[in-house]
Amino acid sequence: MRYRIHHSTSLLYDSVVRLARLNLRLKPAPWPGQRVENFALKLDPPPAEIEAGDGPWIVHRHRVILREALSELSIESRFEIEVNEPAPAPEDAPDIASIRAAALALPDLSAMGPASYLFASPMAPPSAAIAEWAAPFFGPDQSVLAAGHALMGAIHAQFSYDGTATSVTTTAKDAFEQKRGVCQDFAHVMIVAARAHGIPAAYVSGYLRTLPPPGQPRLVGADAMHAWAALWCGQDIGWVGFDPTNDVLAGTDHIFVAMGRDYADIAPIDGVFMGGAGQRLSVSVDVEPVED
Amino acid sequence: MATRAPRKAQPVDRLKDYPVDVDAGDLFRHAPPEVAAKWRMMAGGLNTLAQDSGLSAQELLARQIADMGMSFRMTGDAEERSWPLTPMPLIVGAQEWAKVEAGLVQRARLLEAVVGDIYGPQDLVREGHIPAAVVAGSRYFARAMSGVLPRRGHYIHVYAVDLARGPHGQWRVLGDRLRLANGVGYALENRLALSRGTGSLLSDIHARRLAGFFGQLRQGLSADCPRESPRIALLTPGRFNQSYPEQAHLARYLGFPLVEGRDLSVIDGKLYVRTIGGPKRVDALWRWIDTNSLDPLNFDARSTIGVPDLADCWAGGQVAMANWPGVEVVEAPAFAAFLPRLFQTLLGEDPLLPNVATWWCGGETEADLVRGRLDELMIAPAFGQRVEGLATVQPAHGAQLTPEAREALLAAMARRPMDYCAQEIINLSTTPALIEDRFEPRPFTLRAFVARGADGEWVVMPGGFARLSSSGKIASTLMGEGDLSADVCVVDEADEERFSRVTLTGAPSIRRDGGVLAAQAADNLFWFGRYGERAEMTVRVVRSILGGGIEVDAGASGHPEVRARLIELLANWGALGPDHGALSPAEACRAALVEHDLPGGVAALLNTQRNVGQSLRDRFAPDFWRIASRSLPALDSHRPGVLLRVARELIERFAALSGLGAEDMVRGPAWRFLDLGRRIERALSLCRIARQLEGAGEESDRLNTLLDIFDSQITYRSRYLSAPLRDPVYDLLLLDPDNPRSLVHQVQAIERHIAALPSLREDALPEAPLREVRAVLAPLVSLTVDQFDEPRMVEIEMRLNALSDSISARYFLQFDAAVAGRTPLQG
Repeated sequence: MRYRIHHSTSLLYDSVVRLARLNLRLKPAPWPGQRVENFALKLDPPPAEIEAGDGPWIVHRHRVILREALSELSIESRFEIEVNEPAPAPEDAPDIASIRAAALALPDLSAMGPASYLFASPMAPPSAAIAEWAAPFFGPDQSVLAAGHALMGAIHAQFSYDGTATSVTTTAKDAFEQKRGVCQDFAHVMIVAARAHGIPAAYVSGYLRTLPPPGQPRLVGADAMHAWAALWCGQDIGWVGFDPTNDVLAGTDHIFVAMGRDYADIAPIDGVFMGGAGQRLSVSVDVEPVED
Repeated sequence: MATRAPRKAQPVDRLKDYPVDVDAGDLFRHAPPEVAAKWRMMAGGLNTLAQDSGLSAQELLARQIADMGMSFRMTGDAEERSWPLTPMPLIVGAQEWAKVEAGLVQRARLLEAVVGDIYGPQDLVREGHIPAAVVAGSRYFARAMSGVLPRRGHYIHVYAVDLARGPHGQWRVLGDRLRLANGVGYALENRLALSRGTGSLLSDIHARRLAGFFGQLRQGLSADCPRESPRIALLTPGRFNQSYPEQAHLARYLGFPLVEGRDLSVIDGKLYVRTIGGPKRVDALWRWIDTNSLDPLNFDARSTIGVPDLADCWAGGQVAMANWPGVEVVEAPAFAAFLPRLFQTLLGEDPLLPNVATWWCGGETEADLVRGRLDELMIAPAFGQRVEGLATVQPAHGAQLTPEAREALLAAMARRPMDYCAQEIINLSTTPALIEDRFEPRPFTLRAFVARGADGEWVVMPGGFARLSSSGKIASTLMGEGDLSADVCVVDEADEERFSRVTLTGAPSIRRDGGVLAAQAADNLFWFGRYGERAEMTVRVVRSILGGGIEVDAGASGHPEVRARLIELLANWGALGPDHGALSPAEACRAALVEHDLPGGVAALLNTQRNVGQSLRDRFAPDFWRIASRSLPALDSHRPGVLLRVARELIERFAALSGLGAEDMVRGPAWRFLDLGRRIERALSLCRIARQLEGAGEESDRLNTLLDIFDSQITYRSRYLSAPLRDPVYDLLLLDPDNPRSLVHQVQAIERHIAALPSLREDALPEAPLREVRAVLAPLVSLTVDQFDEPRMVEIEMRLNALSDSISARYFLQFDAAVAGRTPLQG
């Protein structure tokens, strides 16, 4: 599949702020089966400095500095991307016990390696409640893919999608107690559950192609950024994306942007500014399929 | 000094009765004869001191501790506690220490090499010497530091290590600390208190001095800085941090500015501290903040104590860091399972100082072994964080788990084995501790410190910080409930060591300025002065209401209406509640003095002043701080006599503080800001009180009260034979520059202070605060007293308030309006 993505964010500060310094993690990092073209980033007002580079995770980061005083900022990113159909998941994946052992044994400290996604992270601290809830899915003989499917299905079935119940700073534990939240919360719950049983789990941010209801036109800009979880399924299979919000594996409808331990590692936008103001944020995302 | 005669006194050898417990292995009992002799000399000396002074050795030391203002907090403490130091140090002979020293230096070299590999080529992980999960599992592993090299290749500058001494005198490493060298300041303080409290005793036993170590540490840091004569700052998380008193003490001792993240900013990849004279370069930071919190743009975005873009400064070689961010990864307990083998791999040497045997359960063989020997081992979280199945982060004895706890632990370990490690059980040897008037054996652990010297070489502090356990438990925190701390003295046979050390330091270049005054410190000094002065003015008003002046027939502040006006003033100042009308004058006075919930009351003001002062601890002389932090005298009576006595006591305290400030503080910007705050508050109070009394009661009562509050009665009488009249009194209180309590005197002082502060203007024109103070001064020096009517007083008051704002705007930090612990002055 080929898509044209347009992501626009506008930030309104309650009063004038100075020296805003931001990290933008909007450009898709290199990922198997994806090719990014014509990425363009536009800020208004334009930044004094902009610097692009790789972050410490599977993430691309633009660092921008705006020196002038401002009360409003708009950030627009556009790109085209080719997403290939992922290889079909093999019939028999390794079982939980062998994944657990392999994750500990593999001498790989890189951001693609399993070791980095085995432990608590700032927004996904361990939770005994989640661990216990997820225990039935992680029998040692269970295949890791089956476990992932069962866990994903359970989240999809037991949690309600509710855009008002949580915020970007909600931890997995809080979302779990409420059994409601958004894609970010569901991904965090899935990550905490998998890690509790020794399975490496990562947080993925990206975009999702949404299909209009039958007979209706696609609404432009109605989408938002999406997030899902990835489980490490052994060296042969590697990372597999599980989208608990939609109860599907990440496929050609999912456009990968970044992968880290949790939201905080790869937040699309964060930063600091001087001034005591609060800020409001509005986002519009358009994922447009392109005919070849 | 080298030829002092030995003490004549025949000490009672209280160590003679010291219990012998061969199994435990005691530092004194097992000491070679020449070292045991030092123990006896020390014990005898302490005894003699106690006899000579009539105080116990503990009391002697407690006085030193109180004088030095030594304190600490335990987790959960709201208030600082005074420091529990036992007078008897641990005495370690030079020979025994030499082995420890060599082992520590070797271990420092190893850790340096391990860290260099983890953030460099990562061969150790790739080749299977360290599992990737052991590195990734540490919450202090900073992935963003990969490939970021220190300019001179030095990752570690300060290394603290906990040591245990076994029953047979074998030393072992319990834990490595690279994040924070907690205890290094307390080791210093313990030594200071002990050497001050025990006369020449420490020299008599030839205890090695600590000063050389700190000199080396400082030089080692300087040597890594990009500029000559670098500015090295100590970066603190702030005064609410548990070890803040230690950090403040270290900063003061080493002469490093004590800064918080918000004092610093990064401009073009260089680090600056905001000072009253504009931004000044900082070349090195001794950080007391975790890597994750150092820079919200490059690490944890939620950190509010870091400095945005600080990572750019160190990555660009513009600021040296002690320690290099990320090095604390190796302090995870799990690392201890892999370090012993790395001595051979990386250094080609056998370890001189073993660490406590450790098994990381992330390995299948190890996990099996641990499960099989659970009863013989201590089980601990592998990465120092709470884990399922263990109640705390402290190691738990496998044998002491209940069957249920054991089952839960094994189940949790089966799911996440990598979160656990096991350690052998270690028996600690004991040391004689002076408890009451007897020596008792107490198990101990020792925190030792290693630093880099000027040429990058490793230097071990000849001593350290000993924790004498009350429970026999292994120390993993600095101090536990009921524990004692002790100094550690490394003793030489003769006295030679000492003199060779001093010369290492080299001659510093001469300088006279007061060093860096961070904008925030200036702010705090200013408000310290204002709060103190407001408290003093409130007490003076109270004293006046109670009739404490020298006037013969003033039972209380003369006319009832004058008194009522003063009480109204106290209410306006927030020193009395809205329902003060129901109180008698004495009750009102008591409330204004001691009620903590009255925001403008003396108790609350002094409390706020003390809180602001906490962050200035590195700038105040210990005597000054001791008086400033003294608690209010107890007061449960409404009797005017008692109240008056307390008011007088407080006024004396204020006088003592002003005196110390005037006599002891260098006339630098710090002193100026302290005095500025005081002068502005005094000038404002004068205007305010004069206005408040306008038209109240008989003129003579009113003017007497004014003279009384501003301590000018005697001067008035020596000048005028008449009863107080308006113009002479106002001239004396407002316009006479020779009266140190007059308005013009305050404003002149303010003008001198501001004129002496650094200017940011290159055109040499006066800055706003200076222009504004001159505008206040002009009428005071040019008009006559009959021209001072109420509107003019109101105008001066307004201008003074504007001046205070203008000083804030020019010299202090501009954002962060709500500084924690700060309450606005009312009225």
